[in-house]
Amino acid sequence: MNLALYGGGCSEEVEAIDRALLDNFSNPSEIKMTFIPSCSYFAQEDYNEFIEQYEKFNIHKIIKFEVDMPYSEIMCEQVFSSDIIHLGGGNTFYFIKHLRKNNFLKKLKDWVRAGGVLTGLSAGAIIMTPSINTASFPDFDKDDNEVNIKNMKGMSLASFEFFPHYKNSKRYDNELIKYSKQLSVPLYACPDGSGILQKNGSLSFVGKVSCFFNGKKFSIN
Amino acid sequence: MGNLKRKKENSNLLNVKGFKSINGSHPIQNNLKEAYVSYQARIRPEAKIKYFNYDLAKQMGLISNSHDEVMTEDLESILIETFSLQIINEFDIENNKEFPEELIKDGSYMATRYLQLQHEDKVGKSSGDGRSIWNGHIKHKGKIWDISSCGTGATCLSPATSKYNKYFETGDPSISYGCGYGELDEGMASALFSKILHSNNIKTEETLVIFDLGKNASINVRVHENLIRPSHIFLYLKQNNLEALKSIVDLYIDRQMHNSEKWEKCPKSKRYDFLLKCFSEDMAQISADFEDEYIFCWLDWDGDNILMDGSIIDYGSIRQFGMFHHEYKFDDDDRFSTNIKEQKQKAKYMLQTMIQAVEYIKSGEKRALNDFKDHEFLSSFESTYNNRKNRNFLYKTGFSEKHIKQLLKRKLELVENTRENFSYFEKFKSNKGLIKVPDGVNWQVVFSMRRLLRELPKILLMRDDLLSQEEFISVAKAESVDVSEIDLNSYGTKKIKDFQASYLDLIKACADIFQTNESHILQRVGSRSNVINKADRVTGDAITLIVDKLIKKIQDPVEMHEMINLINDTQRIDPDAKSKYAKIPPKGLIKEIMKIIVENREGI
Repeated sequence: MNLALYGGGCSEEVEAIDRALLDNFSNPSEIKMTFIPSCSYFAQEDYNEFIEQYEKFNIHKIIKFEVDMPYSEIMCEQVFSSDIIHLGGGNTFYFIKHLRKNNFLKKLKDWVRAGGVLTGLSAGAIIMTPSINTASFPDFDKDDNEVNIKNMKGMSLASFEFFPHYKNSKRYDNELIKYSKQLSVPLYACPDGSGILQKNGSLSFVGKVSCFFNGKKFSIN
Repeated sequence: MGNLKRKKENSNLLNVKGFKSINGSHPIQNNLKEAYVSYQARIRPEAKIKYFNYDLAKQMGLISNSHDEVMTEDLESILIETFSLQIINEFDIENNKEFPEELIKDGSYMATRYLQLQHEDKVGKSSGDGRSIWNGHIKHKGKIWDISSCGTGATCLSPATSKYNKYFETGDPSISYGCGYGELDEGMASALFSKILHSNNIKTEETLVIFDLGKNASINVRVHENLIRPSHIFLYLKQNNLEALKSIVDLYIDRQMHNSEKWEKCPKSKRYDFLLKCFSEDMAQISADFEDEYIFCWLDWDGDNILMDGSIIDYGSIRQFGMFHHEYKFDDDDRFSTNIKEQKQKAKYMLQTMIQAVEYIKSGEKRALNDFKDHEFLSSFESTYNNRKNRNFLYKTGFSEKHIKQLLKRKLELVENTRENFSYFEKFKSNKGLIKVPDGVNWQVVFSMRRLLRELPKILLMRDDLLSQEEFISVAKAESVDVSEIDLNSYGTKKIKDFQASYLDLIKACADIFQTNESHILQRVGSRSNVINKADRVTGDAITLIVDKLIKKIQDPVEMHEMINLINDTQRIDPDAKSKYAKIPPKGLIKEIMKIIVENREGI
């Protein structure tokens, strides 16, 4: 297991993805997790919910690491001693700005290549793909680019693009079909509660997922 | 038609009768004429409202709970008529100054007398509210609130009048503090600081409204349920005026019995003893809380900078340090303040003085202060202080109230050992010695213990071994300090091991008591500690810079109120509190403010 991308949703909604993820670990009580919120500002509530979400699975080693606040190197070492690192949801542009600033994109990539499991919800999932373009459209549902990010490259850990909080409607589909025409990789759109797991290059899907490719829409599950 | 409707709705939402009742009258005027100097006052209609605390006004019943956070014409004019006041002082009278009759208020307003160490006479015959008046009081839902305003003109109780033996014109540029004006930046700092401390359960005055008079002059209106200070009482003790002493103490007690749940338990025949019990507890508690929250509050023998229940009043020299800067002293021109460690002894001295005052009332005979050095309440002060220090230590470590209760009950010795080890590092100073800082002197401490408490549980959760000396220093060292400034000897090396070992023993003890595993406790402790010891906690330095920005960038009082509430929300250290604000990255002014807070997080 290398990656898990969550389309969004509360802990109850994503339980099926969590189960699929944790099935790959023999002893969940030994799992060490790090939660990296997209922004430290008012992030505590998300962290508390995250702890509750995984305590259900008997995981009691969960730390929070704020990439947009000062931290010690020792603390950073603990992050990369985790079994799972989770990138939280929020503003994709703000998040990637601070991940880049601290050279975390490279560190995370190296860590995943060495066997770490990276998970991400919404913005956190988008960042794992080749591009963060999907955070910038459609107009009626996009992240503010207040931090003026121009380099839209993601981590390219996943071999597809990702659209979270997808709603099965014409106005979303029109935008996603149009965008998929520009891509050479598939674009997966996940509503809240759905997700994608990637293990050694092969994908498995949890919940309803739509695939947009070459201007066409396909339903998965 | 639309306008007419809006006006009518607004007037229904304003407690006009309540506003009108704030006319200078106060129970002190009926009982103790010598406690104040009386002034007529006039309205300053040109004042602009810079800040209005809607939440506080609702608690006081001045506006309805359904009043929108908007500044209507009605609200603006009633605030100005009620609070934008300047006294007609001795200088005005001597110089036959005339003011339009329609601007002169009907009531008379008190400038109260109290002890102040900066006055030469030391017995309070000429000291007290030098630039303030009491606007009066208001009752709402079973509570009474006192209201006073700073910046309402030069009174005869100001240090300048006492020193030069003459009356001054309000606004006289030849004197600063004695000119009678408040300062806008000081008022805004008080409003912001008191809001933050109040939200974090530190007892304090609160700011209701601030008027901008231009050129950084302002009127700052403050509120508390009982504005009597220890210095109001000590004044009559120093003057051997038993009758006045009894009157002011009785006034204080009567109000407490009306307002405070704690005072409901007070037996009628033991009211003075109950006063001492409460005062002893409050002084011990604030001594511990101020140290543990790194709050610098210049306590001294005059009992001037706090209220009787230990609430902070007067934010002129109040600071919240980012680390335990225990050698910092404020330079008040002709004297240095106490430092944060000396606050406890001063609080204890105030308690001893209060015991002397109460015994004087009870027996009719004034005994020497030294006669009370072994009084039972001084012993109970020490035990309350120690209990509070233990509780505070466990709380900021991240233990929940449920954990704290059990650890104190079953593992007191371990708690005290760990606290002692913690304190060693908290007080550890740089080898650079005493240095001058902009408003005083300081000797830099080198360890940011908030950072250690924030990061240690996470590190220990993720690894099985303790931190080495080098790692410990790397985690705990303040970012503003260079490693070369830390001279740690073999005792210090031992302490690094001792602290971590006792910290883990506490975690293990808690896990044993609650029959859970250590990881579970460490995770909970780490999560709570992360909020309590957050990196972006405001310091006194940060407040000064933030206020400069707020004054420059925000003109609208509603916007100011919203921004102060937003800043306050970022400063809440209750791990269980939920924010009403959206979890989106800060932008605009709040982004600039958060940057200031982070940049100044280790300062004074």
